[in-house]
Amino acid sequence: MSKIGVFVCHCGENISATVDCAKVAETAGNYDGVAYSVDYKYMCSDPGQNLIKSAIKEKGLTGVVVASCSPRMHEPTFRKACAEAGLNPFMCEMANLREHCSWVHEKGEATTEKAIDLVRILVEKVKYNHSLSEIKVPVTKTALVIGGGIAGIQASLDIANTGHKVILIERDPSIGGHMSQLSETFPTLDCSQCILTPRMVEVAQHPNITLYTYAELESLEGFIGNFKAKIRRKSKSLDEKLCTGCGLCTTKCPAKKIPSEFNEGLGKRTAIYVPFPQAVPNKPVIDRINCTYYIKGKCKICEIVCPTGAIRFDQEDQIMEVEVGAIVIATGFTVKQPDFFPEYGFGKYPDVITGLQFERLASASGPTLGEIRRPSDGKIPEKIVFLACAGSRDPAKGIPYCSKICCMYIAKHAMLYQHKVHGGKSYVFYMDIRAGGKMYEEFVRRAIEDDGVNYIRGRVSRIYEKNGKLIVDGADTLLNAMPVEIEADMVVLATAGVANEGAEELAQKLHISYDPYKFFAEAHPKLKPVETNTAGIFLAGACQAPRDIPESVAMASGAAVKVAGLFSQDELTREPIIAVVNRQAPPVYSSCVGCFLCISTCPYQAIEKEEIKNRNGEVIKSMAKVNPGLCQGCGTCVAFCRTKSIDIQGYTHEQMYTEVMALLNEY
Amino acid sequence: MDDLIKRAKELIETSAVKVVIGYEQGTGNKTRALFVEKSEDADKLIFDSRCVQNLAAYVTKKEVKEKGKMAIAATLPVMRSIIQLASEFQVNDNNLLVLGITPESKLIEFGNLVEVETFVHQYTIEIDARNKEMLDKLAKMTQAERWKFWIDELAPCFKCYACRAACPMCYCHQCTVDFNQPQWIPVPSHELGNLEWHIMRAIHLTGRCIDCDACYNACPLSIPINLLTKKMLEDAKEHFGGYQPALKGDHLMSTYKPDDKENFIH
Ligand SMILES: Cc1cc2nc3c(=O)[nH]c(=O)nc-3n(C[C@H](O)[C@H](O)[C@H](O)COP(=O)(O)OP(=O)(O)OC[C@H]3O[C@@H](n4cnc5c(N)ncnc54)[C@H](O)[C@@H]3O)c2cc1C
Ligand code: SF4
Ligand code: SF4
Ligand code: SF4
Ligand code: SF4
Repeated sequence: MSKIGVFVCHCGENISATVDCAKVAETAGNYDGVAYSVDYKYMCSDPGQNLIKSAIKEKGLTGVVVASCSPRMHEPTFRKACAEAGLNPFMCEMANLREHCSWVHEKGEATTEKAIDLVRILVEKVKYNHSLSEIKVPVTKTALVIGGGIAGIQASLDIANTGHKVILIERDPSIGGHMSQLSETFPTLDCSQCILTPRMVEVAQHPNITLYTYAELESLEGFIGNFKAKIRRKSKSLDEKLCTGCGLCTTKCPAKKIPSEFNEGLGKRTAIYVPFPQAVPNKPVIDRINCTYYIKGKCKICEIVCPTGAIRFDQEDQIMEVEVGAIVIATGFTVKQPDFFPEYGFGKYPDVITGLQFERLASASGPTLGEIRRPSDGKIPEKIVFLACAGSRDPAKGIPYCSKICCMYIAKHAMLYQHKVHGGKSYVFYMDIRAGGKMYEEFVRRAIEDDGVNYIRGRVSRIYEKNGKLIVDGADTLLNAMPVEIEADMVVLATAGVANEGAEELAQKLHISYDPYKFFAEAHPKLKPVETNTAGIFLAGACQAPRDIPESVAMASGAAVKVAGLFSQDELTREPIIAVVNRQAPPVYSSCVGCFLCISTCPYQAIEKEEIKNRNGEVIKSMAKVNPGLCQGCGTCVAFCRTKSIDIQGYTHEQMYTEVMALLNEY
Repeated sequence: MDDLIKRAKELIETSAVKVVIGYEQGTGNKTRALFVEKSEDADKLIFDSRCVQNLAAYVTKKEVKEKGKMAIAATLPVMRSIIQLASEFQVNDNNLLVLGITPESKLIEFGNLVEVETFVHQYTIEIDARNKEMLDKLAKMTQAERWKFWIDELAPCFKCYACRAACPMCYCHQCTVDFNQPQWIPVPSHELGNLEWHIMRAIHLTGRCIDCDACYNACPLSIPINLLTKKMLEDAKEHFGGYQPALKGDHLMSTYKPDDKENFIH
């Protein structure tokens, strides 16, 4: 026979203002199996908790119903109180009289009646509760960081400095990401490479960091604390141990006309190449698509000139399996190319370039050694136009959001132009200037007031070529949409920042969600910005939305703290509110018929096949099995299973049925 | 079907299979299932237009499976059932050999289930004209009329479960109606209980029912329960691009997709 205690809370006035708490307690006291029922002003206070504890001890309670606020608030409090008094914490249930009743209804009979109903269903449920114990899972204290831009670099260093091992994988031949391509950075105009390269070197030298460049995630299995990742190390056609990075091969390679990715196509590179002089690691890779040997079967000049014999034409991709406990995704973003814009010539005018290309022109390490020269004829542009929001904030183009970084880098670009081209004229077409950030607004004002950049509020409808000039047709919305036409030598489009190509597939491999724009989704827009919906997988930098460097770095450090927090424990405890497939005595073993349709219903890939074998090792039954580390207790499989073979612990069929029946007064 | 008899004999004599499932003459003008375990019994095998019972219902039965490898004389609906069953891991190439009977009554022996699938995929599942007409009539009814139609039609059902026994997809050892802790679906044959039983069955068969009408044919009261599964077939077409049993790929009703539209929730 159950001995249940009911504890009705007034929550100050929050509940008692509309619900007659004394009446609720009194009514509940008369139910079968209720041994004790009481109301109190604040159940969560120390005296309130003591009331529960002493009742458990004195009356020998077998179950507890606390009728108060949402379990999201105080379930841990009351379960802990029960545990302290010797009752299994999962024998404690909460009826939500506040959010579900007193806050949403007026004072009155009916409101009190509803409160009574809410208590009654839980009294009936708790009769079917069983003691449950928390689930313990071990933690592998190595982190996997995917993407070696500034966010991935920062996250790796921060985690490594807490004493934990980090595996950093980067898709490109070098780490550095977009930041390595930037000339100077807003709002301080310090040289991007100068502040970035020391961090890149630190990554390479850190004893706790293992760096794999030219590597990508192949697949991921497992769950928080216990992931198994397969990593594809693309063949570099190089024995990295032998290569000294002397660079002789790159000077002799005959395939010299390949557009350099690092220089955004404004410079050329060879087929065997190091993307930029400060690359980490500073060892070349062979780009097989453009290598003469792989195309024609003849060449091998690099092999001939290499003094250490490091070239390996027959090297194959390697698949490596690693075990990690947490993952930080820092795969960054990409920018739209001019061919996305029919109104600006579909990329057919060489002097209509992207902001990223402008960074390369302005950079001392770039193709023009830092001089602003237009791509078509190398002339220094006397008039330059910058277009903000190229693609961004344009629902018709499918990019309704603000790319956030452009307003700032346009001001930077215009300023750099004015510093480098004396007497040059620069124009910025903008919709609004978004310069929220420390020293950001001041930075933009400097561009306008000190450097004389002409800001025109309005959009550009068309760009076309006439007599070697780019005609920019726009309107000035501050002057009653007065048409403006500028004959420019060069136009820079601040093209929208968008998710990487392949972001969707990566998200699917990682079992995380993404937003409509394919940026990875955070677990909560305010309170969980670096978490994903999958426990143990975190986000850093521009892979979550366009972000500038300070924000990317802050996010990376945030994600690193989450990882370090996870790694501070040897074991993780999880609530046992998970699905279980029933087991019965042989020869039945389970009512599960092994249709395995539940496997594909589970949003968390938590269900696997289990084979029951006899002594001779023959399979006598195949059935479903829920991995307790992965199951989130969502209940999808329970609803789905036709044989009703799955139950959620703490929310069993029996318990749910009893609740429904109690509501229908048929208990 | 002399070639079927001949092949059945060979299979049994060479022990390639332990049992051949086919049809034989039953009482009256009816045919019934035959389980050939001895080669002389193969002479009883028949095949004609009366052979509409879905024999695939037997391949999941413990008593049949236990005999060892099975061969089955399979018409198009039976082959469809087998593909669906294989996708649910109930049969495989090791325990089942398919002796296909084409809609033109030709015998083809398939080397494996992939070949069966290829054959089945030449045909789409089409609802016959008479039932289609009935479905359209039901669709045109008001909600109240439709409700009354079903209450009246289902009222005589006395839960003999013949429909379930005849259905190849109803192979669960513990059907939801048999689950009694708690008894979600009431056992008594009252209005609510009957309605719940048939709605539950239709839902469980959506994206799995291959439209063989075995359930309807088995019902001693000729309750048109196949209209429910046919309606689901139509809905599957409208909302998910149609249903065709397949060895691999997403199951229609049981594949979690983050980008599901969920536009049926209003
Ligand atoms: C034109 C322009 C100018 C800018 N100027 C400034 C400025 O002045 N100041 C400022 O604060 N910010 C500026 N920014 C923003 C800055 O570039 C970003 O904030 C920063 O690069 C974000 O860093 P990240 O590490 O998140 O992403 P990224 O820099 O994009 O790095 C991502 C890394 O992940 C790798 N990767 C991608 N996919 C995979 C994969 N599947 N597997 C493995 N590796 C992968 C990529 O190769 C890359 O190395 C500018 C941006 C642009 C476009
Ligand atoms: S638990 Fe249910 S849905 Fe899953 S395999 Fe078993 S019977 Fe099928
Ligand atoms: S309860 Fe949800 S998460 Fe757990 S196994 Fe079932 S479907 Fe998967
Ligand atoms: S066969 Fe007919 S009477 Fe029997 S349970 Fe099915 S519908 Fe009801
Ligand atoms: S028509 Fe009836 S017997 Fe045939 S598969 Fe569908 S539900 Fe089962």
